[in-house]
Amino acid sequence: MTEEEFAELAAGHALHALSVDDEARYAAALLAHPEWQAIADDDQDAVAVLAAGAGSVAPPESIRANLMAQIAAMPQERSPEPDWAAFAPAPLGDDGAPLTEQRPRRRWGRALFALAACLVLIVGIGVGVSAITAQVNRPLSVVALDEVRAAEDVASASVQLDSGAEATAYWSGSLATAVLVTKGLEELDSSRTYELWVLRGDTPIPAGVFQSTGDEVAALLNEPMREGDVIAVTVEDAGGSPTGQPTSDPVIVIPTA
Amino acid sequence: MRVMEAEWGMLDAMVIDGVEVDENGPASDIAADLLVRTADGDQAAFAELYDMLSPRVFGLILRVLVNRSQSEEVLQEVFLEVWQSAGRFAPNKGQGRTWILTIAHRRAVDRVRASQSSTDRDIKAGFKDIGIAHDSVAEQVELSIEGEKVVAALTELPDAQREAIVLAYYGGYSQSEIAALLGTPLGTIKTRMRDGLSRLRHTLGVTA
Repeated sequence: MTEEEFAELAAGHALHALSVDDEARYAAALLAHPEWQAIADDDQDAVAVLAAGAGSVAPPESIRANLMAQIAAMPQERSPEPDWAAFAPAPLGDDGAPLTEQRPRRRWGRALFALAACLVLIVGIGVGVSAITAQVNRPLSVVALDEVRAAEDVASASVQLDSGAEATAYWSGSLATAVLVTKGLEELDSSRTYELWVLRGDTPIPAGVFQSTGDEVAALLNEPMREGDVIAVTVEDAGGSPTGQPTSDPVIVIPTA
Repeated sequence: MRVMEAEWGMLDAMVIDGVEVDENGPASDIAADLLVRTADGDQAAFAELYDMLSPRVFGLILRVLVNRSQSEEVLQEVFLEVWQSAGRFAPNKGQGRTWILTIAHRRAVDRVRASQSSTDRDIKAGFKDIGIAHDSVAEQVELSIEGEKVVAALTELPDAQREAIVLAYYGGYSQSEIAALLGTPLGTIKTRMRDGLSRLRHTLGVTA
């Protein structure tokens, strides 16, 4: 993607006017090119100024009282979790020297971009969910899946892989929960596993491992979801990546924007 | 186009000129300070933040949604989100007010797409486009000096660019909806948005 193409995406993103797949291209491009963040920030600032053009309207007094009563009993999100990846032993390069933080992330970003560009996002937000519960073999994730599907703000997005396998993410912002359902994903031998990741900004956060039976499988992400997270899956050694960073290119990428 | 006389209250003067428009140096970001305190569970700071910004937030939501009761619901959702996730605001990465207005716009757009058919919105957007700012919502809308500048800057844009930006930002339309609405190729709409926004940035003096 050229900087010019990115500038178009950034303008659309700031105006909240991108389609789901353009939103994915935007997120992937930003991962691959952190240096373009300034373009995105500029657009965000320009758009924020537009709000003044809508003018001010005093809301009804009752809303204030209502809000104050509600927040008094409402827990707040805790501060962000510590970045565990920062404490993990740094992977060593060919010369034995620790790799810089940026190198694996950057490579990941490019891979993600290439993949996101060729995947087809099938489904938008809030489509009907077919009855998959019965075939799913992971009780915890099934419970979570049911909860997410019952949530008022349930949303989902699907991708189809070249292999013909399908992956659908269901998530709910209010529950801060996401469940990935895969169908036909290749079964791995016991030395390897699928690892879930939440991409937040340019940071991949490990979100658990799962095995595929080749049939329909649900996996619960053990990292609380946030707005704008991208869900990704890589193949790692059994037990998951020891460094807390993905060691291979993602096989599944689903934006939740 | 008719632009309403600005009515200056203490609040407007403080919020609008004091925080963002001052180009003589890094003005203190009152909203950011309040957000940081809110993140610590300070309910008084949250109340102050609400008093300071709720008219602007409500004005924006109402503009996008038009429907008053839906707008009131979204206003509450926005400030509940502010309360819950104030800890996510990074003062070194942006202004407090921008952060809140971004949440408000996203929620208003999500709501308008979820709840109002595009046919309904065609009609409203038609009205909206005539008076960029607020003529269609005649009641108690106050346009600040800053708001007048925004309207003036929009008016100076080439018609096609203004149309794309107004439909997206104030109408809540996606790029593909706008392309369909205007019978214009999607790529053209994308380019118009980018060019229009970039021109606005220069006119309004928004710099990184």
